[in-house]
Amino acid sequence: MSSSTNYRSLGAAKRSRASKQDLRLAIIFLTPAAIGFMVFLVWPTLRGIWLSFTSYNLLTPAEFVGFANYERMLGDPVFWNSMKVTVEYVVINIGLQTAIALIIALLMHRLTQSTLLRGIVLMPYLVSNVVTAIVFLWVLDVQFGVANQVLEWIGVDKIGFLSSETWAIPTIALINVWRHVGYTALLIFAGLQMLPNDVFEAAKLDGAGEFRSFFSITMPLLRPIMALVLIMTVIGSFQVFDTVAVTTGGGPANATNVLQLYIYDVAFGRFQFGYASAMSVALLLVLGIITFIQFRLTRAGSSDMN
Amino acid sequence: MNANQLPAKTRAARFPAVLATAALALTGCAGTTENAQPSNTIDYWMWDTSQLPSYQKCAAGFEEANPDLKVKITQYGWDDYWSKLTASFIAGTGPDVFTNHVSQYPQFVSLDVLAPLDDFKDIQGVDQEAFQDGLKDLWTGPDGKQYGMPKDWDTIAMYYNQKILDEAGVDPKEISDSQFSPEGGGSFEKLVAHLSIDANGVRGDEPGFDKNHVKVYGLGLSNAGGDNAGQSQWAGFAATNGWQATDQPLWGTHYNYDDPKVQETLDWYFGLSDKGFMPRYGQFNSADGVLGQVTSGSVAMVSDGAWMNASYISSDTKIGAARLPKGPDGTSKSVINGLADSVVKSSDNQEGGARWVAYLASKQCQDVVAKAGVVFPSRTDATNITSKIYAQQGMDPTAFTGPVKDGNTFYLPVTDHGADVTSLIIPALEDLWANRQPASTLNGTNDAINNVFIK
Amino acid sequence: MTTTAARRVEANIEPKPTKTRRRLSPGRIVAWAIMILVIIVTLFPFYWMLRTALSTNPGLQANPDSWLPPEFTFGAFERVFGLQDTEQAIAEGGSGTQLNFWRYLLNSVFVSTLITVCQLAFSAMAAFAFSRLNWPGRDKVFAIFIGGLMVPSIFTLLPNFVLIKQLGLIDNLLGIALPTMFMTPFAVFFFRQFFLNVPKEIEEAALLDGVSKMGTFFRVVLPMSSSPLATLGILTYISSWNDYFWPLMVSYTDSSRVLTVALGVFRSQSPQSGTDWAGLMAATLVAALPMILLFGVFAKRIVNSIGFSGIK
Repeated sequence: MSSSTNYRSLGAAKRSRASKQDLRLAIIFLTPAAIGFMVFLVWPTLRGIWLSFTSYNLLTPAEFVGFANYERMLGDPVFWNSMKVTVEYVVINIGLQTAIALIIALLMHRLTQSTLLRGIVLMPYLVSNVVTAIVFLWVLDVQFGVANQVLEWIGVDKIGFLSSETWAIPTIALINVWRHVGYTALLIFAGLQMLPNDVFEAAKLDGAGEFRSFFSITMPLLRPIMALVLIMTVIGSFQVFDTVAVTTGGGPANATNVLQLYIYDVAFGRFQFGYASAMSVALLLVLGIITFIQFRLTRAGSSDMN
Repeated sequence: MNANQLPAKTRAARFPAVLATAALALTGCAGTTENAQPSNTIDYWMWDTSQLPSYQKCAAGFEEANPDLKVKITQYGWDDYWSKLTASFIAGTGPDVFTNHVSQYPQFVSLDVLAPLDDFKDIQGVDQEAFQDGLKDLWTGPDGKQYGMPKDWDTIAMYYNQKILDEAGVDPKEISDSQFSPEGGGSFEKLVAHLSIDANGVRGDEPGFDKNHVKVYGLGLSNAGGDNAGQSQWAGFAATNGWQATDQPLWGTHYNYDDPKVQETLDWYFGLSDKGFMPRYGQFNSADGVLGQVTSGSVAMVSDGAWMNASYISSDTKIGAARLPKGPDGTSKSVINGLADSVVKSSDNQEGGARWVAYLASKQCQDVVAKAGVVFPSRTDATNITSKIYAQQGMDPTAFTGPVKDGNTFYLPVTDHGADVTSLIIPALEDLWANRQPASTLNGTNDAINNVFIK
Repeated sequence: MTTTAARRVEANIEPKPTKTRRRLSPGRIVAWAIMILVIIVTLFPFYWMLRTALSTNPGLQANPDSWLPPEFTFGAFERVFGLQDTEQAIAEGGSGTQLNFWRYLLNSVFVSTLITVCQLAFSAMAAFAFSRLNWPGRDKVFAIFIGGLMVPSIFTLLPNFVLIKQLGLIDNLLGIALPTMFMTPFAVFFFRQFFLNVPKEIEEAALLDGVSKMGTFFRVVLPMSSSPLATLGILTYISSWNDYFWPLMVSYTDSSRVLTVALGVFRSQSPQSGTDWAGLMAATLVAALPMILLFGVFAKRIVNSIGFSGIK
């Protein structure tokens, strides 16, 4: 960290005194955020972990049951189905979103710098998840939706976008791509703008074409940004809920019963909060592991720039 | 640098959290009766907007008769109703009285949030003999106490598109006279076939019927199993085939989805979609139910509940109602169901709530509801008023009152763990319709369901 | 990343476009075609919302594929603003329930503003502590903060609800705002990234001038952070404006209902009635409008500064 190099140049005594002053100031500055963090994030998490070892129906005190919930979870076909469905969703969603966002970012970088265009691209983000889901529910409707009307013009049979087992998850993934791709593209675009021109010019002088310079120069240099964008979007994607709740409610036949929806249903619909907590802990672990793997794989902490 | 030491202030910042923990531990998480409302206002929740005017009239009448009480009616849409109710029980900010539904009420009974009505003086004054038979039992818990005051009842009938029937030369009486059979479909399937028309105008019972390009389906469907046991869809068929959903009509502990009688019924029923006589899953927007299917002329007839009467009557298309077809046992059976009003245990004015519930069940209020012509009220005399109104509007009420009169009604399964059962059986039923799995797959589902009761 | 890169971003230099040919190389045509496709796909749902909102429901069902509103009327918007009477509403396919629009708008504004202002302030302060101050355990604590990103929202939903109830803040706008008001891990992370790249020289110059460490925050770092403040401000405003399930759980009466929750009125009221599509589309447009306007005002700022201004 560059800050510490500066401190090394001061005397050791000065450093420790500055440290103490910084500590007091840090405490003052951190207090509000720490309160929020502790009360509304840490405490619920700890409580949730405790509840996962109990049987709790929200209205009477919780009863300790040891690992029973976890045993149930491991043997629950619906839980594993939810895992599978969620992973399928994340792969399609993030895969498409990242690829399209990258393309859009590159286009914005090389083609035009217009603010209007960037604004348009960001517009879907202004609409909430619930609203987006409702709009697409309407557009993709089997009877009245314009998407199927267009398909009919072309001469293809109508597709049950949200009612067919094979199409439901990809469709939901695409709906969320529509909503988030602009924002992701802008993040990547900002990163692109950070790249120094000299490297590209050198490459061009060496005779490298667009594609070559993209793969050998742009991508590696973008790595830290892409890594962070990926980590954030994967975490968010795993927690998909609003869209599914509004469009398919988990159907047909559990084909879209993503994990967070299943957990919500078990907790609030079936009053089995202990079991729901156990599944939430599983989700937390999965997210932790995936993030860790991603972090390592992409070496997101370091940059090729320096 | 001591990596494990948190700055002192951050540790101190945990104090509010510690306090909150202590507070939670001490007071527990059960709802406390912190009702912000003054206790002479009865908070009443319901979901049906079309009944709002009737209940507002009843509230006015109640307030006149009980000057010390006021009634505040809040309406939440069906989609949000139950989650709001649940959240309110947890928070202790719920209503005093609410409209209850059979699918949810066992859950509330087992969570002990409903106040038993038997002990209230006002309830004891209600003449429950005047109700339709069987309604009171529906709302009696396993402990013999009553948890809901029936306010209306409904059965299932076949709504048909008059024009389509006329063009097919079918008399509506043929619907109720026909009989279904799990093997081959019986005369009912022949009727359905005749009413189905493909894109080239060929009928389902004529050669050359293109089952992949159907313009009019004989029988409509929008939901594989309703809430639980196919109330508006196939429950009547299964019952006439001799199927009983649970080991006891009420508060049973064992489900019978592994019974061949229901499986062969379901195989036949959903098999109609293979033949082009019934829509396939997802062909129509399921959120809007079967109403749109039959009123738009895409479907000849649909089975639906009496609570939909007003909607069918007010549609621009002429829709009639006929009693459900007969089954192998020679009778036509229908589910009988009904809504009820329940008093919440954590209410700060249970007695006032009970008074309101009693008023809702009284002749005055029931007559008001009857005159609105939206539902059949639970009192038999009020039912007659509604029947007359329906008849005047061109909808035959005997399609609905018939099963009640000749005792051919049965209950939906009312058991503990209703939500668990629903979440297991509905996807399985959807699988049958959407992916055309054989009904024998329900054996595994049935095991899973019965396992829930063992735990 | 060094300061030169930061300065380059400020100046918004346009990288030299590759123009090996004159104007229309096939590459550029393809690129533009893709861009136009992206714009159409992005904007089409908005157009469709508008077209649906300007018709009656029976008209929509009769002509599902007409590109212009099938039966033009402002009725749906009237329903949203609570200006249409019940009979006409039912005739057009609506549900007839009244909507207390302006109240909900006010509630949404209050909640979103409260959350945004507080979150920006507290998160910036925390980020400053994590980036410009040096104290033992700093990076470890920061890692814990960031770990909060991974907690699934379902985990916190119920305990937060119970806590809000214990505090007596159910059905209260403050109760809606409280959980997210203090900070989010993302906000802290975002600001910290930016603060790490504020040039040391400026800060040291201020210190030499006798400004206290705390003073550097208010007089040096904050003024330089107008871009990320605006960016995160808008993003926070948008996400709190669009929140649905939490406000739904916490509010019971009109006094605390926010706009997004009020949209529920247009979805099916009962198993009987169908969805009031026209009303729903009109409501979603109206609910999104403040965001679009806000965005329009701050657009240049946001769009040009979104993202990381420096990656270590």
